[in-house]
Amino acid sequence: MDIAFTAGKYIHWGVLSISLTNFLIIVGMIVIFVLALVVPFPGAHERRQNDEDDS
Amino acid sequence: MSAPASDAGERSWTSSVRDHVAGLVPEGQALPDRQPAYVASWIYVFGVATLAALVVVVASGVVLAMGGAAWWHTSSLGHFMNSVHLWSVELFFAAMVVHLWGKFWMAAWRGNRGLTWVTGVVSFVTSIGAAFTGYLVQSNFDSQWISGEAKDGINSIGVGGFFNVLNTGQMLLWHVTLLPLGVGIIAVMHVVLVRRHGVVPPLDDEREEVAR
Repeated sequence: MDIAFTAGKYIHWGVLSISLTNFLIIVGMIVIFVLALVVPFPGAHERRQNDEDDS
Repeated sequence: MSAPASDAGERSWTSSVRDHVAGLVPEGQALPDRQPAYVASWIYVFGVATLAALVVVVASGVVLAMGGAAWWHTSSLGHFMNSVHLWSVELFFAAMVVHLWGKFWMAAWRGNRGLTWVTGVVSFVTSIGAAFTGYLVQSNFDSQWISGEAKDGINSIGVGGFFNVLNTGQMLLWHVTLLPLGVGIIAVMHVVLVRRHGVVPPLDDEREEVAR
């Protein structure tokens, strides 16, 4: 029974409590979100150039 | 033999439906092969990544339905399909949440796209219900624990009388019929609205188009 209650690692911050796994997944999603904003998309520069040439 | 209704100047319901469906999206926008230059950004791929994950979720769910609720406990193939189902759901939600963050910070409801935003929100909420009932039908101690904990929450919002999380049969049927149907219909509506109004331009795009 003790095993069930002590399974997994938890982070406690005041009234908040979150499993380490869930915390790392959320951090990973934020990292992916930031990367999606800053990493250049393949061919994006050429497309913008073509778009400007067309207009 | 009577003349066709259209000859008499009357429109049948079939032609009305046909015209309505044909007018849902502008011509050529149902499956476009070109997008504005601003769409060439990684932040725009998470919507279609969510859809791709949903396809895998449904396909793996169909296979699991053929084997039955307890199949994955006794078969290595069933266990594999269960894992495919679980991880495609994880990817589905991760991609959907990143998609949500991206659309929130670019105020994607601009340009008469309010209904697109709302259908996305409803789709998200319905998906949470679908995932929740999925946890309840694992037929193991995990599902027993989750349903035991959830019943108080469900009762507290006053729906426990007809949505009994302790009733595995009811939860299984919600999980494999009603909720996937709901997610599917709302997702189709969401995609049609995206195709109807086009992909929202970035906030700083000087060439922001007039909403269609």
